[in-house]
Amino acid sequence: MLENNPMRLYEFEGAELFRREGIPIPASALASNPAEAREKAAQVGLPVILKAQVLTGGRYLAGGVHSADNLDQVEEMSRRVFNSRIRGLPVERLMVAHKVDGEREYYLAITPDDYNGYPVAILSAEGGVAINTTARQRPEVLVSHPLSISKGLSLDEALQMSSEVKLSGTEHAEIASVLFKLYQVFRKYDATIAEINPLVRTRDGRFLALDSKVEIDDSSLFRHTDLNLNQQSRMLNPLERKGKEIGVTYVELDGDIAMISSGAGLGMATMDVIGQRGKAANFLETGGGISADLLYKVMDLVMQKPGLKALFINIYGGINPIHEGAQGVARYLKEHDVKIPIVAKALGNHQEETWEIFKAAGIHVVDGVSTEDGIDLLMGLIGK
Amino acid sequence: MVQGITGRAGRTQTRWMLDYGTNIVAGVTPGKSGEVVEGVPVYDTVAEAVQKQQVEASVFFVPPPATKQAAFDNIDAGVKLIVVVTEHVPIQDVMEIREHVNGRPIQVIGPTSPGIITPGEAKIGILPANMFSPGRIGVISRSGTLSYEVSINLAKGGYGQSTVVGIGADPVVFTNMPEILRLFEKDPGTDAVVIVGEVGGIQEEKAAEYIDRWMTKPVVAYIAGINAPAEKRMGHAGAIIQGDGKGTPQSKIAALREVGVDIAEHPSQVVELIRKHLG
Repeated sequence: MLENNPMRLYEFEGAELFRREGIPIPASALASNPAEAREKAAQVGLPVILKAQVLTGGRYLAGGVHSADNLDQVEEMSRRVFNSRIRGLPVERLMVAHKVDGEREYYLAITPDDYNGYPVAILSAEGGVAINTTARQRPEVLVSHPLSISKGLSLDEALQMSSEVKLSGTEHAEIASVLFKLYQVFRKYDATIAEINPLVRTRDGRFLALDSKVEIDDSSLFRHTDLNLNQQSRMLNPLERKGKEIGVTYVELDGDIAMISSGAGLGMATMDVIGQRGKAANFLETGGGISADLLYKVMDLVMQKPGLKALFINIYGGINPIHEGAQGVARYLKEHDVKIPIVAKALGNHQEETWEIFKAAGIHVVDGVSTEDGIDLLMGLIGK
Repeated sequence: MVQGITGRAGRTQTRWMLDYGTNIVAGVTPGKSGEVVEGVPVYDTVAEAVQKQQVEASVFFVPPPATKQAAFDNIDAGVKLIVVVTEHVPIQDVMEIREHVNGRPIQVIGPTSPGIITPGEAKIGILPANMFSPGRIGVISRSGTLSYEVSINLAKGGYGQSTVVGIGADPVVFTNMPEILRLFEKDPGTDAVVIVGEVGGIQEEKAAEYIDRWMTKPVVAYIAGINAPAEKRMGHAGAIIQGDGKGTPQSKIAALREVGVDIAEHPSQVVELIRKHLG
């Protein structure tokens, strides 16, 4: 969750990467209002499928996917989708795709095996929404191959996988070719997953990817600036977006005890300890980039949530200069009228200096060495 | 050897490692050959450094885009222990580095590792010295900050550490948890092991398998993230590879309990659990 959040692409963005690598997709266009949907439907050719572009799975069951046979229907259906929320998410764009009748569905994916540290190619001769059940109940229709990241997936190996799931004739070579190209998408764009579910064979014998699921490793974005992926704009929660802008991970929660930590593990442990006696208002972790300026901005961020009862700061001086960070917190408190109690546990390099700065700023510094000591002190201050 | 010794973190951490007794013989920063940082000579390349000095281990403070090449250089030069402190290294680079080791007797730790410390002797990385004290407990942690938290609490409860290893919390790491368990099992200076895990991945589930088959020393664990917001769904492919339902704190705790590992409900409780085993 907290450290390496892969960036999920919209279906149309994934489809664009497929197109670039030569994976066949149905004719489609994007629309941002019902009139435009009508216009695009006429261009791609009726009948069409209208698909809400939202960053969640299960769109079909949530009412985000509809088919339409004529232009009036297109306009009416798209109005309905634009006015709805799909699993809580607003719909800003619709993909208008020419409707394709598939005779057979396949599942293809490339993703790392995290534990073993290599990519894996997965091919199933049966795809669709029930792929997990299929994989469990009838493992013989599905094959997965571990790959060498330096050698990649060869066309020979893709053909071999195609044989192993008992594909034959044109479908044997066509599916292997798409799997080979899907690996190129995975590798070229630093994907953490590149998945087609389903790939279909049409009545007239073509093979088309009807959906795309692509996630890009956000640590790799420095080498994919050409993709113009804007991470902040994908975050709908304004405070979480602000966190991303200043370079920290912020997750808004529904409690009233705000929290700042200097690492993801420590932050999660802090939430666990708070959770035994109360409820956290947020999760925030800085990673290794603490400075006076950063902690000033972090204070400004966490204090924006209304209804806070207390703030707990839990930081370690390992790579972080926490004494500098403390200056930023002190400056924030000098410039703002903060009424809630603040408790800080700060240990490691420069701990004594940090304590002095915090104490001078009116912060309660934890005497002990455990997060539990800190939460005890904090709960005492707010009478819990 | 310190990779990226002339940067801010590299300089500061070099001084602290030297203060702690770590023998640092070389630093590497391209274009800075001839400089001296905290008394340590700086070289342009890894090849030059290993030719002029006897290097056994290396620690990285290089930026993420430069990490892969630096790691390849170190592996090719035969450096036996490589600790990557760098955060945000692309996953595919991590996989390439792991593959490049390819059976050679080289241990790479990280990325996003706080490093390794043998209290009272030496440390490689960023672990703050005042959180650790010498003793007989081995600590394996995915989180850097929690390795400090658990160690200072152990020390306060009377248990110092034989060695503390931060393997890093990225989805793909260079060295998995069972490998460190193996090293602690055969280390005569270690009486018991503390695992500090967290939500996500299957490190703890694999550690449980290893403990069941091979460990004779007592192991206790703390798993962070019981109250963490629900993780991003794993997706079909992840579930096919890992198996459904793995990766949650509940799955980890169940797997570890089943093989006799006591689970702390909060970080400092590991001290009582250790006391139960060692008295």
